[in-house]
Amino acid sequence: MSNIIVNRVKEFLKQYPPFSFIDEKALEEVSREVEVKYYEQDEILFSKGEEAQACFFVLKEGSVKLFDLKNGQENIVEICDEGDVFGVLALLGNRPYILNAKAQEGSLVYAIPVSVFEKLLIENSRVSLYFAAGFASGQVVVRNDLSDSQKARSEFNPASEDKGLLIFTGKSDFNYSKVVLTCQPNSTMQEAASRMGEKGVGSIIIVDHQNHPLGIITDKDIRNRLVAEGLSYETPVSELMSAPVLTKSQHSDFSDLYLTMVKSRLHHLIFTEDGTVNSPVTGILSDHDLLLSQGNSPAVLIKALMNTHEVKEMAKIRNRAEQLLRYYLENEVSMDFVANIISEINDIIIQKAIKIAEIKLQADYPEGIDTKFCFVSLGSEGREEQLLRTDLDNAIIFEDVPEHKLEKTQKYFLELGGEVVETLLSCGFQPCPAKMMANNPQWCQPLSVWKKHFSDWILTPNQEALLKATIFFDYRAIYGQKQLTEALTEHIYQEISTKNIFLNFLAKNALLNPPPLGFFRNFILEKSGEQRDKFDIKLRAMMPLADIARLLVLSHKIVGVNNTFRRFEKLASLEPNHGELMREAGQAYEILMRMRAIEGIKNQSSGRYISPEDLGKLQRQLLKNTFYPIDELQKIIRVRYQLDYFGS
Amino acid sequence: MGWFDFLFDSNKSKADFVIAYEESCSEQIPPQRPIEQLNFVVLDTETTGLNPEKDSMVSFGAIKIQNGRIQVKTSIEAYFETSDNKKEALQIHEILSPKDPIQVDVFAKALLKYLANHIIVGHHIGFDLKILEKSLESYGLKKILNPVLDTQYLATRLEKGYHYDVSMGKPGEYSLDSLCERYQVPLDDRHTAAGDAFLTAQLLLKLLKKAEKIGIKDYKSLMR
Repeated sequence: MSNIIVNRVKEFLKQYPPFSFIDEKALEEVSREVEVKYYEQDEILFSKGEEAQACFFVLKEGSVKLFDLKNGQENIVEICDEGDVFGVLALLGNRPYILNAKAQEGSLVYAIPVSVFEKLLIENSRVSLYFAAGFASGQVVVRNDLSDSQKARSEFNPASEDKGLLIFTGKSDFNYSKVVLTCQPNSTMQEAASRMGEKGVGSIIIVDHQNHPLGIITDKDIRNRLVAEGLSYETPVSELMSAPVLTKSQHSDFSDLYLTMVKSRLHHLIFTEDGTVNSPVTGILSDHDLLLSQGNSPAVLIKALMNTHEVKEMAKIRNRAEQLLRYYLENEVSMDFVANIISEINDIIIQKAIKIAEIKLQADYPEGIDTKFCFVSLGSEGREEQLLRTDLDNAIIFEDVPEHKLEKTQKYFLELGGEVVETLLSCGFQPCPAKMMANNPQWCQPLSVWKKHFSDWILTPNQEALLKATIFFDYRAIYGQKQLTEALTEHIYQEISTKNIFLNFLAKNALLNPPPLGFFRNFILEKSGEQRDKFDIKLRAMMPLADIARLLVLSHKIVGVNNTFRRFEKLASLEPNHGELMREAGQAYEILMRMRAIEGIKNQSSGRYISPEDLGKLQRQLLKNTFYPIDELQKIIRVRYQLDYFGS
Repeated sequence: MGWFDFLFDSNKSKADFVIAYEESCSEQIPPQRPIEQLNFVVLDTETTGLNPEKDSMVSFGAIKIQNGRIQVKTSIEAYFETSDNKKEALQIHEILSPKDPIQVDVFAKALLKYLANHIIVGHHIGFDLKILEKSLESYGLKKILNPVLDTQYLATRLEKGYHYDVSMGKPGEYSLDSLCERYQVPLDDRHTAAGDAFLTAQLLLKLLKKAEKIGIKDYKSLMR
């Protein structure tokens, strides 16, 4: 009994969550009950304190402002645009509205009676999660729980096939031993162990007279079941073997083999002719073989990096790491883990690059340079947050040398820095447009000069100094003498403790970019140039968080926590009264990192400029949810550093 | 006029549902009733041509506005059997084959009940009314008695004032297409009866808000 009008309404709703989670038939029932109302500009849809109406709203066109009134001042909580769901308190029990809603321009609104939705709320877990996670607009009550948002995010991902297997290099791409060491069940453990020793293998398969597999004995079994138990070496293998064994045909699908091993937690899989235990053994596959064939596991990549001295090879491995990254992002692997792995890989590449450079420079400096130095990463790589190969920010700190040696020493380290930067560029990293790199004389200096740099920034916090501070304060030792950075850190904290006002400047700087609470309408998108109509996720969302984390870490004199979300974690324990907010900010940052990286991989770009049009409704809402902690934190900073009374 | 009409009439005895309809229309809407409280039926027909005497209805679509809200569940859509020699017009409307055509008597009965004493709204509504009246005349209905509001008329009145003559303006200035464009109603499902009815209903909501701003707030001033 569908008609054109109901259909039209349905087609509109279908585009947006939570309606996108509802099947056609149920959605048609919902659509039939819709009531359409038009509100003129400035018309009130509902007011705070009013009893909730028996419906909630979806904005069809126009824009609706949700706001709170405090001392006659409008405090905008959210600006809804097309497809936004709001006024949902009626769904969550009949409570009065906690916000005011007013049309900002002529707005067409779909009202959906609660009665048709209640059933769905109970029966459809994704629909209820949508509301529980606070995706509907103006749901400030539940917004605290970003972890629900995260959960919802993975739930809402299209119920796709497991993309995880995409990272495997190909199904026939694995090696296994075709020559299998076997013995009879009545052999002794002594015999078995000595044959394993002879062949240099870690396992032996026990077969019957037809060569059908009965069991397996591994190195570990000899250790745990024989030696540790103090049994006689004459014990027959049949008494200690693991049985039955897991068998497969060697023609099996790779993913099938992989999953079988992972699920059974076995280290060995035996191939037989027909894949059952009732046919002759043809080979053996160990989890080690599997790991190697699964080319992109972090362990394999790191091992491969350690073993190469070829820049080209390093570049290839870094590209593979990107595949791994994509897999992790798509599968919602924890950001902490992802950032760790990728930073580790980046660090190893830098360390390698330095070693390669040192070897290369030996020709020009045969007498060698015995000056201690430390290569540091700055900015996002310094914070262990650089998932994509965006701008390089790095520097060299070397120990102080007598003046007559300074020139030559600096020349050496500049060349070193130059080599390293070139290698990193070959590995796909992008150069820093502001030249904050180790091949820049300004940032390749002895410790005393570095101390002076920092002292200057702290004593004269002008705009440029603050900009530098935001990058240089996040330094992290990658290679060389860590004592140099430790000395620098100590110096910085000393300077700050005598010149506390620096933190006020830093605080002011952290508030330069207020969160774009209503950004999807039109005013916070970039106004000009190539990035017109895009949203700068770095400048508008990530930087404000990173800046605040840095500021608070400095104010608490924390050392050695560089990662923004780990900084917030630390801050949560140091400021328990703001614990929840800090944790929330950390989660928000993780979400932003993930979004940016996904965007970057998708478009082969820095991922910095996001086009809101391309984000799904859900992604947009998730993004919006991350802005609340920024807003809250900025309020706290404003008060704590008395920025309202702090001249510029 | 005169007694020929009377003879003509008596040949067609009024169906019971027509009598019931005429009774329901005898109840007047109080002039001071606020616009928000008025009930509207917004309707549109698609026909085989532009001559109400000769052409016939291909489809009918309508939706109600009650309490200031378009009630999607009140939407109706009906298709009619048409003769094959009218293919040309059918192609314009891209109606290839009528789906589940409705029997005219079933339609007539349902329609009059549906119209009740609502205000009938449409764009160029006069034409639609003639077509409807023609298809209902065999049941003894002389005239559709509901109050009628034409969105074309309302729009010109709001934009140009009372005495403006549409024919003096630019051609097409007050067509449904240009009004929808002007009032930002997306032209979804244009040229289907139900689709156009829905568009016209959305246009009406916007026009009514505009009317309210210049003091047209009740039934009397709206229908003036």
